[in-house]
Amino acid sequence: MAGYETNIGRAPVFQDAAWSAGRFLRRDHSLPAEPEEDVLYQGDGAALHSMQSTMKAVLVVHGGAWAIPDCMSESSVGGVKAATLGGFQVLKRGGTALDAVETAVRALEDDPVFDAGHGSVLNACGEVELDAIIMDGRTLATGAVSSVRNIAHPVTLARAVMEQTDHVMLTDRGANLFADSLGIATVTNEVLVTEYEREEWRKQQKYSVGVKNLFNSQCDHDTVGAVALDSHGDIACATSTGGIRNKMVGRVGDSPIIGKSLSEAVDSSLQYMAERVNGGGGVIAVSRAGDWTAQFTTERMAWAAMEGDVLSYGLNPKEVFQETLPDFQRVVPQHQS
Amino acid sequence: MLPVLVVHGGAGTIPKELVEMYSEGVRVAVRAGFAILQEGRSAMDAVVEAVTLLENNPVYNAGCGSVLNEHGNVEMDALVMDGRTLANGAVSAVRRIANAAQLARLVMEKTSHVCLTGEGASKFARAMGVPEVPEESLITDRSRKRWEKNLAPGANPVENQMGSKGTVGAVAVDSEGNVACATSTGGMLNKMEGRVGDSACVGCGGYADNRVGAVSPTGHGEAIMKVTLSRLILFHMEQGKSAQEASDEALAYMWERVQGLAGVVVVDPRGGWAARFNSLQMAWAAAQGQQLHYGVYRGEDLIQPLQDPDHHQH
Repeated sequence: MAGYETNIGRAPVFQDAAWSAGRFLRRDHSLPAEPEEDVLYQGDGAALHSMQSTMKAVLVVHGGAWAIPDCMSESSVGGVKAATLGGFQVLKRGGTALDAVETAVRALEDDPVFDAGHGSVLNACGEVELDAIIMDGRTLATGAVSSVRNIAHPVTLARAVMEQTDHVMLTDRGANLFADSLGIATVTNEVLVTEYEREEWRKQQKYSVGVKNLFNSQCDHDTVGAVALDSHGDIACATSTGGIRNKMVGRVGDSPIIGKSLSEAVDSSLQYMAERVNGGGGVIAVSRAGDWTAQFTTERMAWAAMEGDVLSYGLNPKEVFQETLPDFQRVVPQHQS
Repeated sequence: MLPVLVVHGGAGTIPKELVEMYSEGVRVAVRAGFAILQEGRSAMDAVVEAVTLLENNPVYNAGCGSVLNEHGNVEMDALVMDGRTLANGAVSAVRRIANAAQLARLVMEKTSHVCLTGEGASKFARAMGVPEVPEESLITDRSRKRWEKNLAPGANPVENQMGSKGTVGAVAVDSEGNVACATSTGGMLNKMEGRVGDSACVGCGGYADNRVGAVSPTGHGEAIMKVTLSRLILFHMEQGKSAQEASDEALAYMWERVQGLAGVVVVDPRGGWAARFNSLQMAWAAAQGQQLHYGVYRGEDLIQPLQDPDHHQH
């Protein structure tokens, strides 16, 4: 809990050394990934000690892997940065990874630039149908909703499925009945639809493009998501979308990563998907040791990650920008109660 | 030796008086599906045929005979996957359809999506000319009675589900070495409306990959989803474990992490297969060469010739 704070206060020198090593390694994802921990801990016994006694907290966020048009690139990057700062605030206070990913994804759902919650794409009938999943790495508890309508924050409803039912997933009308039973306020379809999306939908209706074209469209939006490791060493993930129906997100455990670094594992998985089913995609991942990565095979993916007082972010392949935010408390909007 | 077909009729605790019916049904299904493989047709055709027969058999919790949800309705989940291309199709919480696995196959073949749910799945079925059947035709006296019993205060739906009957499924490898899986279920007794279990979720309620093998599980769906059981088994097989070792390891992990009970049928592309479970029972049957293997209790592996003169009498 307070361990994280203590660590920051106690070992500023270590932090600097660690970050510069981290920066170098992460700048180019194509580098063969050396065991990152070794580099971080090397030659600094005191640092190693403090690292083992407390966990480092990490939050990584993405706003969808697709060919983000230039006109949306700035708002996409701004959106993932804001969501990351909001979610990291939770971790910094000693909160759980679960709370942090939910907070980050709610912010992305509220942001109309992303295809989730407000800003979702429309289905063939002009309605918004939303999917979301959340998973707690401590217990493997999972909750999901698919094709739910009129809900502003599907990720929070997914968490309610996880915490308040015996089930993992509720769909369609049943998911809405459950939301009603909890007294979760509904919003009208119109509230979730942006003018931009309504216009895109009209265009595609008018030209009656086949389903296949629609699906492969370069202007397809995509999912948002977050993964986090908290100061207790617990991991959680959350994903929310208006775009792809009923997709069960595979569990990312440490078992598939044995003998490989995290970024190697993610990279080879994306390559495998491209090779076997010609699929483009993007992934954010975090390991129990606090390694994290954000990779994609699409043209662009807006992502951001926060670790300590360093905010990393990017949009284009191999791109990593970093900002140090020593006055973290001051730059974060105090919107959480 | 190729080809191979393995089917299951649900993991759980089968009432003594029903054991023979459970075992008979999976043997009939495995013979019918295996005949398709012997004709040189695909693993996909064989698993869908076997699962269709199990759906039509009122003994099992799929198609006719499905358990009822909290409102007394039948909502079904199903999934098919083709190991050649990794193409897959699924339906979740679909109503008034006799054969959900066939509808899942249509989702795979006729849409660019993987899963359609609830009303959207019904709309798609209508568009494909799949007949809508009256809900009563899917409900047996037994499932109605079980549902009524479970409405009683203090009833434990998880326990009773495991005590009643389970999902059906099949995995096959055809003579060309292609693998496929199919899974179909009425889900969990007294479930909430709209509950989706593992059987509609790729990687949980089934997975098929020509490079590794195919899996169809049955059991407590929520537990299966939490560990993505099917993909977890194939992961262990990718690391060099046999179908049986991989199944046992994954089932043990599921028990350790989420105290889940389940069973699986598994094939690999070279004709290795397994039927494993950590529940008390699972009705299963496997056909390979001239032999039919089957069992219900743990450790049981009964063998009879595939050309059993008796089976035509049933």
